[in-house]
Amino acid sequence: MSRKLTVVFLATLVLVGAMSLKTVVVTHGDGSIVMANSGGPVPPSPWKNSGGPVPPSPWKNSGGPVPPSPWK
Amino acid sequence: MPGLVIHILDLLTALLQASIVVVSLARGYTRRYLTINLYLAASTIVLFLRYYILSQHGLSSGEYFYFYYYSDALLTIGLYFALMGLYATVFDEMKAAQYLRVFTILLLIGTAAFSCAVVQQSGPRLFTRYVVEISQNLYFVGLVLTYILWGAVLKLRETRTRVIQLVLSLGVYFSAFAGNYALRNLYPQLHFVWEFVPPVLGCLLPLSWAYAFWRIPEDARIAPSRLAVVPR
Repeated sequence: MSRKLTVVFLATLVLVGAMSLKTVVVTHGDGSIVMANSGGPVPPSPWKNSGGPVPPSPWKNSGGPVPPSPWK
Repeated sequence: MPGLVIHILDLLTALLQASIVVVSLARGYTRRYLTINLYLAASTIVLFLRYYILSQHGLSSGEYFYFYYYSDALLTIGLYFALMGLYATVFDEMKAAQYLRVFTILLLIGTAAFSCAVVQQSGPRLFTRYVVEISQNLYFVGLVLTYILWGAVLKLRETRTRVIQLVLSLGVYFSAFAGNYALRNLYPQLHFVWEFVPPVLGCLLPLSWAYAFWRIPEDARIAPSRLAVVPR
């Protein structure tokens, strides 16, 4: 197998592993968005339909008051 | 009061990120750690812009909402390239730069395509859903890639202390977010605790990286035997 095919195979393998991990985590999660970036007050998950106080996304590096979801 | 603490942590994060960029510029590390510096610079600018837009339009405004999620997607891509920059540093001696570039682009395209497939059946605001989905998927790709990189560091007997510090910090950062998510689902009643964890973690990554750039010399080495427990 050529090196280029090996690279393609490895990229596919990582993608499959990552998406499988995501599926496992999100399936057992509360529907929050999974992200990992810098600060600022966190808007809620745009696909949540809750009307009450919204917890901050656990993957964000910041907090603050949370705006209402525009998807309601 | 909790909001104030979080704002202070955000400010501290921005200062630490900016200081890393300044120190890198002053000491000539910018080119060697270009992707990390670009990510940190972008992250600092985005943080200030978020607060600016927040002050102008308010938390419930569409402007802030869209800017937050769209900038987050761009930053996640930046973090992905920062991670691949670390890969390039670790695999530097193997002369695998060309293959690494192909791998990086393929994986990014694959993630983008997968995200597109996931949101394809969504209703309105398809592009915004796509932006959020790709951020989320890249987070998991980054998580997996960080652990693979850590395995490579051990396997290749990487001894550069700064590189090890950068990789380990990123691994702890990704893992701690996942841990926080799990604990939050297990103990939702402790939401007042989980509220503070993300901003603290967000501050710890630049703090750890700042330590790596401020205090650890470029030629510092650490014995691999101190990193791995080799079964006898």
